Amino acid sequence: MNLVQTAIDAINLGAIYALAALGVGLIFSVMNLINFAHGELITAAAFTVYALDGQPVGIRLGAAVVAAVCLALVMERVAFRPLRKANPATLLVTSFAVSYLVQHLVVLIFGARPIGVSLLPELSESAALGELRLPLLEIATIAVTLALLAAMTFFFRRRPLGIQMRAAAEDFTMARLVGIKANRVIAAAFAMSGILAAVLAFYQVAQSGTISYRMGVDLVLVAFVSAVVGGMGSLTGAALGGMLVGMTSVALQTFLPPTWRPYRDAFLFGLFIAFLIGRPQGLVFRKAHRVRI
Amino acid sequence: MSVLLSVDDLHVSYGGIAALKGVSISIDDGELVAIVGPNGAGKSTLLRTIAGLNVPRQGSLLLRGKPIIGLAPERLVADGISLVPEGRHIFGSLTVEENIRLGATTRTGRLAVKTDIERMLSLFPILKARFRQRAGQLSGGEQQMLAIARALMAAPRLLLLDEPSLGLAPLIVDALYETFTELRTGGLTVLVVEQSIRRALRAADRAYVLHTGRIVLSGRSEELRQVDNFDQAYFGAVT
Amino acid sequence: MRGLKGDFATPAILAMVLGVAALAASFAAPAMQRVVTEALIYVVIVVGLYSFSGNSGVMSFGHVSFMMVAAYISALLTMPPLKKHALLALPLALERFHLPTVPAGLIASAAAALIALVIGWPVMRLRGVVPSMATFALLIITHVVAQNWKGVTGGRQALVGLPLDTTIWTALICALAAVGIAAWYQQTRRGALLRCTREDEVAAESIGIHIARERMVALAISAFISGMGGVLFAHFLGTLNPNTFYLDTTFLTLAMLVVGGARSLSGAVLGVLIIQAISETFRSLEDGVTVWGIDFTARAGMQEVALALIMLIILVFRPDGLFGGSEIGTVLGNFLRRRSPRPKSTPSS
Repeated sequence: MNLVQTAIDAINLGAIYALAALGVGLIFSVMNLINFAHGELITAAAFTVYALDGQPVGIRLGAAVVAAVCLALVMERVAFRPLRKANPATLLVTSFAVSYLVQHLVVLIFGARPIGVSLLPELSESAALGELRLPLLEIATIAVTLALLAAMTFFFRRRPLGIQMRAAAEDFTMARLVGIKANRVIAAAFAMSGILAAVLAFYQVAQSGTISYRMGVDLVLVAFVSAVVGGMGSLTGAALGGMLVGMTSVALQTFLPPTWRPYRDAFLFGLFIAFLIGRPQGLVFRKAHRVRI
Repeated sequence: MSVLLSVDDLHVSYGGIAALKGVSISIDDGELVAIVGPNGAGKSTLLRTIAGLNVPRQGSLLLRGKPIIGLAPERLVADGISLVPEGRHIFGSLTVEENIRLGATTRTGRLAVKTDIERMLSLFPILKARFRQRAGQLSGGEQQMLAIARALMAAPRLLLLDEPSLGLAPLIVDALYETFTELRTGGLTVLVVEQSIRRALRAADRAYVLHTGRIVLSGRSEELRQVDNFDQAYFGAVT
Repeated sequence: MRGLKGDFATPAILAMVLGVAALAASFAAPAMQRVVTEALIYVVIVVGLYSFSGNSGVMSFGHVSFMMVAAYISALLTMPPLKKHALLALPLALERFHLPTVPAGLIASAAAALIALVIGWPVMRLRGVVPSMATFALLIITHVVAQNWKGVTGGRQALVGLPLDTTIWTALICALAAVGIAAWYQQTRRGALLRCTREDEVAAESIGIHIARERMVALAISAFISGMGGVLFAHFLGTLNPNTFYLDTTFLTLAMLVVGGARSLSGAVLGVLIIQAISETFRSLEDGVTVWGIDFTARAGMQEVALALIMLIILVFRPDGLFGGSEIGTVLGNFLRRRSPRPKSTPSS
């Protein structure tokens, strides 16, 4: 029975991390940009939910999605478009700066202290299934993630813009040479990452009940670890990587002896370094992203 | 015969190194013009600049009299310039069908696009057989055909080809050039960079010889075949 | 790689600037002295960061880990045994062991360099952004360990009682040493080889440069210097906890490096001075300042927002930093050469 509980926790965390990894993987695949500021998209969505406290749930969620998407598009237009041709190190530091900027804008407006928020308290209940207690929030998260993954798969396989994005992710210059609009594809990637960030924010707020200016940072770090593990540049890889990292984290939490449990993250990141050494290209290795000579 | 592309005194640099030092060429409607020259002469740079990937420091580029310097590559595709770069560059993770359809990204007429897909498949029957396969599984020659079919799907007025025969068996290259000749009757203009001088002069109406960023020789193919010091020009003795 | 061969002007000029700053501050109020001391400590840290990232092109987020490690080791070696007994659970020998700050600091920095070699060996042969991600992972791991190893680091509780041995002059000496080491390293053949790998990994490898080895040498040097900076900081503050050096310090030092220009030593040093000046301005604004009869008080968060904005503006308009990779010695040399025209050699065809 306990094992089933743990399994659900693992799948749930895996789903969360998969969404996070997809958010950053999308941007990386079209732009070679590691967007540290993705965490702030989550934060922006969360604070929007807070700011609209008292409004109907649909409005709160919808506005949060709009806020995250808008912030993502602004980021792209103002900070990242001028640097499109810059080297990856500069892009990395730039995204770090954007992240720092938005975090402290939040401090300026809302203060530095964590704030309590209530969102969908109905989901904090558990459904009883025989002897099992199934947390509704986790079930909902897994369901939403599956739905999003299905929607994204459909988009990338059937919609023209989705196919264009796949082409751009594989070979950006060639994509332009067949007439694919660079700006449109990149903007679409950012918009999508905004939507994914908003969903993550909903989970975070519903689950922890608090928001703070730093809430995006931890998620972003795990997002990148997951995306790298999955194989940067591959969206399937990002989802798989997220799953793997999430399940490993829960496994560590469950199976580590109690005195070592506080070091769970150290183990997780240690395993990450080991993984990097053993299989740096990630789980899903795309030849297209290998350095061409 | 009207001038389709006019390149005048083009200077292009790659990070401090001058790749093109004052290149001027002119291409009329319906011609097949070849650019030949040793490695590093700037042939690819010239094609990439015309396609909008490089911005020249100096000089002008006119497409039917309209200046095109500074326009984005995707815009130039809509304007009628299609580049097949060196090395095929098909989208390996997409299917043959997706690759071909992407070629028509800038087009609007659904029926015309459908007709053109049929045309491509009859022009390159092997692509029909592999229509739903991943493009990365095709052989070198098949990928080259796919790259050309994809470029043609944009219904270009000017097709730029960078070393289309590289790495392909001679029979396949022959077939390719036959296809180009067929397409020219439909009004296509072709500018091809060729490694093999013989083939270039056989297929092309006119040719330019490029050496270290400059045009050192040019003329109609028949004339160039007779030129005594052609080899010397090719390898740089003549300026 | 412009004009680095035999460039003694750059370290000399930088040394002069730092020396003048220290000298001027020594006559000023203690508050100003603290500001300049802090700036000199940041010079050490950022020069340490530069020694690796600037030469290898691999952006490192891990130099703060080296600071942390060295700071904690130095703390353990220099804290009064009674304090250690009260706060920590160390083996008796370690608890009683006590060293003066200077040897403790050197040992601590060397330990940081050793850890860098151990971590660096498997990681530095990786390509692309992967080594940078690994350094980030290292930062997290160090932080988690520091937060939880209560017996050795005190956990989340602060270690207190560190001897306050960092004066403006000790900081200056270390800053000069750091600049000297960095300037020397980048002029050696090894430094030049590493910069080749920065430009083009594949090409460098194909001419026989052992990328991992060159990076590791730079990483060890960088860890030593950054470690020194961590030690200086710890003995400047007198206390130490896992959050003293973490993400904020990482961002701040990266900003200092990038604003000046990550590709040159002059850029690194000047970046520190510029950012520190801006930080100070905002810090005093937060206390409230009256200009022309109008009160300006900065709110919490404004300093960081301003810093981030400045960094972004510089990155967008001058991606290579204010100095753009040139060394101050070269710039001055070119300037002087243009002022005194010499007869030109005849141009060849």
